[in-house]
Amino acid sequence: MVLVGLPVLGLFGILEVGRSLAAPLSIGGEWTLEFDPAANCAGPARLRQPALNISQSGTSALITLNDGRATTIDATIDGSTLAAKSLTATITGKQGQRVLEGKMDFDGCAPVAFRAVRQTSKKRGE
Amino acid sequence: MLNLFQLVLQIAVILVAARVVGFLFQKINQPQVMGEMVAGILLGPSLLGWVAPGMSAALFPPASLGYLNALSQVGLVVFMFVVGLALNPTELHDYGHAAVLTSHVSIVAPFCLGGLTALYLYPRLSDDSVTFTGFALFMGAAMSITAFPVLARILSERGLLRSRMGTLAIACAAVDDVTGWCILAYIVVLVRVTHATRPAWVTIAGSLVYVALMLFVVRRFLPAFERSFRRHGRLSDNIVAVIVVLVLASALATEWLGIHLLFGAFLMGAIMPKSPEFTSYLLHKFESVTVVLLLPLFFAFTGLRTRIGVGGGGAIWFYSAIVIVVAITGKLGGSMLAARLAGTPWRDAASLGILMNTRGLMELVILNIGLDIGVISSAMFSIMVLMALVTTFMTTPLLEWVYPARLLRAEVDDVAQKSVA
Repeated sequence: MVLVGLPVLGLFGILEVGRSLAAPLSIGGEWTLEFDPAANCAGPARLRQPALNISQSGTSALITLNDGRATTIDATIDGSTLAAKSLTATITGKQGQRVLEGKMDFDGCAPVAFRAVRQTSKKRGE
Repeated sequence: MLNLFQLVLQIAVILVAARVVGFLFQKINQPQVMGEMVAGILLGPSLLGWVAPGMSAALFPPASLGYLNALSQVGLVVFMFVVGLALNPTELHDYGHAAVLTSHVSIVAPFCLGGLTALYLYPRLSDDSVTFTGFALFMGAAMSITAFPVLARILSERGLLRSRMGTLAIACAAVDDVTGWCILAYIVVLVRVTHATRPAWVTIAGSLVYVALMLFVVRRFLPAFERSFRRHGRLSDNIVAVIVVLVLASALATEWLGIHLLFGAFLMGAIMPKSPEFTSYLLHKFESVTVVLLLPLFFAFTGLRTRIGVGGGGAIWFYSAIVIVVAITGKLGGSMLAARLAGTPWRDAASLGILMNTRGLMELVILNIGLDIGVISSAMFSIMVLMALVTTFMTTPLLEWVYPARLLRAEVDDVAQKSVA
């Protein structure tokens, strides 16, 4: 009883404590991008929709661009900020209606403002 | 569109890799299945994709993996039926207090330590689309599983199946598996209900009705197969086909209910009649194609999803070390301590702990479910795959160290002499 009962009680305690923990904001999935139409840059035209595919593991993310070469960018999530070498964005919206707003760098251009909307979150078996 | 040439090429490459690595692992006293699991990892981004990315992309382009996954899932359905078929939880009654205590503690201890580890890993390797409860329960279930088929194979290869410790380990592993799958079914329902369009009550009530139907209605008709087997010494192809259809129907029912395809196949196997001749006939019938052809495909598909050491830097190795230490402490330590407290000698208790710590491919099955339903991230998946490989690999050498072959043989001979007397 002691060997089984005590750990089970402990598990309930763990679940109770864990409820107050905050995990990084979920951004995994495919995203469609809208760029600032006033930007004078050919880079965004090379991206096909959905332009981003983000694979997330906690605070780390791997962004794959749909640019025909499947360019990948390592990124980190710090609070509501997504930061990568050629991209910074703020994560807004509730889980399920998440939006990215920020700037992306392209060769030979000034950073271009964009707004991204998530199309699909990661697979959930349903 | 299906590229048949590519699919057949993939299958051929996977089978060759599985057999070669399996053979090499046998040479170092590891079970063949351990080598097959490693072969799958080697074909993925952890090795082939890392050293030869061009070849990896040409051989396993992402668009082609759906077919490989479909084949491996069919293999898993049959395999889970075989696992359920080989299980006989009633054996537990024969081993008394030690088996009951050991099997219970060997689930509860790693489960709680898994939950405790989740407190640290949830903010680092999960995200807010997963609740802490779902993550922690999944971690617990994944830590507490024992690979019943691998365990049986290790015991068989070492001639331990008839030893006191071997039979105790098999009985405990059987109970662990049944309990582990029940817990996992609950977690899958918990996670899926949060995101599914189907109301929760349909899944819960449907699951209860399904289990009741299987236990009290379907189970009553199954002895007819056994009677036919006894009359003719074999089962006709038509009867085998009926059994396959029943397995598929049960799998489809659990998938439709939102639990998972594999639970239905497992339960169908678990409620089949358990006479040794009938069970071994069915195992022989189903095992060959599954073990030789379809399971290596599952290992390869798992390997293609695993990125050991790729990305994440040193932190991933640190998290991996934590998970491995916790998994071994909970399962090996918990089982050993419980067996010792129940009066089992130290050497037997330690051996039992080592055997129960074998996670093998059952762990990979559970991890793939976790990744599919989104309760773990790909980094967490890779860490847990590494833990499964380490805990399975260490079983044989540790067992040899704690309980050398000469002592085991003497013990098996002693048991045989007593049973003759």
